[in-house]
Amino acid sequence: MSAPVRPKPFLEPMYCKGCLRCIDACPRDCITPGTEINPATGLVPVRLHLENCNGCTLCIQACPEPYGLRLETEPPGFEGDFVLEDPAKLFGEKCVPIHSEGDLPDNHIALPACEAMVLKGNYAAAIGALLAGCRHFFGYPITPSTEGAELMAKILPRLNGSFVQAVSEVAAVNMMYGTGGAGLPCMTFTSSPGFSLMLEGISYMIGAEVPGVFVNIMRAGPGLGNIAPEQSDIKLACRGLGHGNTRAIVLAPSTPQEMLDLTREAFALAFRYRNPVVILGDGFLGQMTGKVRLPATMIRPGLPAWAVWGDRAHRHNLINSIALAETDLEAHNHHLNRKYAAISACEQRVDCYRCADAEVLVIACNTPARMAKGAVEAARAQGVKAGLFRPITLWPFPIDTLAEILPGVHRIVVVEAGPGQLEDELRLALSHAGIAPPPIDYVRRCGGFLPPQAEILAGILAPEEVPA
Amino acid sequence: MSAFYDHFSRHAHGEGLKAHSTHYCPGCGHGVAHCDLADAIDELGIQDRTVLISPVGCSVFAYYYFDVGNSQAAHGRAPAVALGHKLAHPEAVVICYQGDGDLASIGLAETISIAQMGLPITVIFINNAIYGMTGGQLAPTSLMGQNTTTSPGGRNATMGQPLKMAELIAQLDGPVYVERVALFDTRERVKARKAIKKAITNQLEGRGYSFIEIIAECPTHLKMTPQEAVEWVKTKMEPVFPLGVKKDLTVEPWFKRDAPVFEPEAVLGLSGAEPRREEEVRPAPTWPAHLPARDVAIKLAGSGGDGAQTAALLLTRAAIAEGYDATAIPSYGPESRGGTSYADVHIAEFEVLDPAAPEPHALIAFNAPSLAKFAATVPEGGLILYDSTVITAPGDLPENRRIIPVPFTGIAVDLGRAMVKNVVALGALQAALNLLPEGSVLATLHHVLKDKPALLPLNEAAFAAGHQAVMAAQVPV
Repeated sequence: MSAPVRPKPFLEPMYCKGCLRCIDACPRDCITPGTEINPATGLVPVRLHLENCNGCTLCIQACPEPYGLRLETEPPGFEGDFVLEDPAKLFGEKCVPIHSEGDLPDNHIALPACEAMVLKGNYAAAIGALLAGCRHFFGYPITPSTEGAELMAKILPRLNGSFVQAVSEVAAVNMMYGTGGAGLPCMTFTSSPGFSLMLEGISYMIGAEVPGVFVNIMRAGPGLGNIAPEQSDIKLACRGLGHGNTRAIVLAPSTPQEMLDLTREAFALAFRYRNPVVILGDGFLGQMTGKVRLPATMIRPGLPAWAVWGDRAHRHNLINSIALAETDLEAHNHHLNRKYAAISACEQRVDCYRCADAEVLVIACNTPARMAKGAVEAARAQGVKAGLFRPITLWPFPIDTLAEILPGVHRIVVVEAGPGQLEDELRLALSHAGIAPPPIDYVRRCGGFLPPQAEILAGILAPEEVPA
Repeated sequence: MSAFYDHFSRHAHGEGLKAHSTHYCPGCGHGVAHCDLADAIDELGIQDRTVLISPVGCSVFAYYYFDVGNSQAAHGRAPAVALGHKLAHPEAVVICYQGDGDLASIGLAETISIAQMGLPITVIFINNAIYGMTGGQLAPTSLMGQNTTTSPGGRNATMGQPLKMAELIAQLDGPVYVERVALFDTRERVKARKAIKKAITNQLEGRGYSFIEIIAECPTHLKMTPQEAVEWVKTKMEPVFPLGVKKDLTVEPWFKRDAPVFEPEAVLGLSGAEPRREEEVRPAPTWPAHLPARDVAIKLAGSGGDGAQTAALLLTRAAIAEGYDATAIPSYGPESRGGTSYADVHIAEFEVLDPAAPEPHALIAFNAPSLAKFAATVPEGGLILYDSTVITAPGDLPENRRIIPVPFTGIAVDLGRAMVKNVVALGALQAALNLLPEGSVLATLHHVLKDKPALLPLNEAAFAAGHQAVMAAQVPV
């Protein structure tokens, strides 16, 4: 009784690169180096002499090419009548992509009415994230943002979520790339030096269109600087999110209430646009305790169709930011630009206080906007028509509303706890919109100081006395 | 063969030969490792569940070939991305495929920290002792004396010895299984296939983190024929990177994650939210006419442990409960971990604007340095309360301020616990400032101590005693 005949190897020469690994693998010397150059590849494929072959498959295991040496029973459709030039016929139809069955939508769950809470800004942002359905946190402790991570460390394990204190901010942002790429909401808390470290990863997330929320409680720089508040990262968030053509919605809260509300909303924006969203708060906002009301609903997140989830429905998906061909990468950039244009058109947010008849327009965000509001009231009490224009989105800058207000404005005063990064955003937005602005003055402090109301008032009243 | 795409449509858009041919050079170890991995995925029946993390390096395009969920990571960060995927969906089989530059150089921090976490992911490490994609530079695993484009005279000691990752990873407590395998002959290839399968099985069974180092050939950058490269790995690399199992723990399956919770009650409860109370609505208090502005700043300053921060939050809560706006900002620097600690509270009739208190209307000083530092910041007509038990020599204090020494600590000690001196101070503040309605701070104390009722009498007594002390001093409000 002879042994059952096992299938023998089969080689389509154009998929052999002639590395000869199979020759050593074959115990029966069935394979020899080729002598003829394959015209399709310019390489020299091996030659099979299968008279002595017993189908041991060791040559196949040695072959580095997926469609190099294979068993002659493969592919199922192979019947010997193929046309060599047509791989589709040779290997069966081009695989049918396994598309998912569409987005699994978010579920909005009503919340019972609750007492107003008294919360530190960092805690408020963390609770905003929980209510947005975030159950994954990746971060690294850094003052003055750490309480956000601490609250997540306490709560998330009890909600069967994940809190990971990563080895660094670099690792943390890439964990977000993983969880965000799997289609789930995730976030981090950080502060300026940590945000710098995350920028590379944010560029990858934007390139790969991965959502995620970054709460950056800014502190004074450059370098290690100190831990006092400064609006030091407006430039990074609006202009410098790592390398390449990167943009993200940048939200600037000014109260603990907005820390919760805007963080919660950030998740919706991140998934709507498949893009990271940055919350820029200053050190005071992270640390400040104040009154916070909870929203009427919380969210149980669904799963987007594009997620790399690890199941059959999502098997065909890919999260990546590499596009080797210039045409592909240019097309991808055009796609991103269309997205950025849509964001610019739809997502500008601003809070205007007494702007309707303002002649002196104060522009400020975050905690300095609070002092600025007091200064505006004080100026009004002295008969000066001042108003406060408070951008809530720093990118996109709310230029459309500003353009409506500016015709009556005689002078702009930009108030910042920082070296002029908000003013840069303002000037760029004006320039791109082709608007010739009235004179722009500023009141700035840095190093950890916030501009006090008295200095802002002086800046509103007497432009020549604006401190340098 | 089914774990590979039928058609490599992502490889140069799947045109011509590229539809079924890899981008790897002839004889490259990556191709063999890819086939071994694909077979393991196929044999284990996990193609749908698999998420493959492609690195940066020659295998950056692994996602061209594997018909699984694919994610391409930044250079060195594949384990971090893998962890993100595993925690997002614990049922996914997450395989992290990395080269030597990615895993053993730029990604060392992620490699080691995530191995030590020990979560069940599978890391396949291709060590070919040279950088392929960038064109033949020194790798952390290049051999001593090896010529590369960035070690033109051969690797020497100042460039560091080759890094033995399998041994290093095996030293960690996190991993359960670490093996180094090779591809240079049939025998080793069989072991390699077995090892890959076991490393994935460990993940499938929830046993833990597995790491397979594959010493592999890079004929192009070794400037060798494929067969010479095979021989080089066998005779030169293998002695430096000895093959075999480096760690294999018998661990019972342990990794299991329950689905995240989205019950409102759980989320609200853990967040500290409380259901709206059905109390009678109290009339909004009238802003006291004796106060100078409709926004009063109060600074509480002492050393860490004096309770200034706690008192500030109590005051803030009490004011918010009355319908006012209020904020508290702590000094949050390193000094708050043992040195001076102060908090700025604002209470406003309508809206707190500037939450800082550079010129507080009222100062509560728990120690002499705080009094010395902040007394002069209190404007004329302002209030200074200080702990006369601790501050026996207050020094020169500014004039035209209401200065009231109260023995916060002495009163608290008499009541039995020095730590309630901050509540004594709040009682004193109530008497001296009369900003919030009588009973407001006490009501907040009742609320925050509702789970510790035993502490309530002491705190009530402390508040009353502080109040009494100021009234007894008969300083007019």
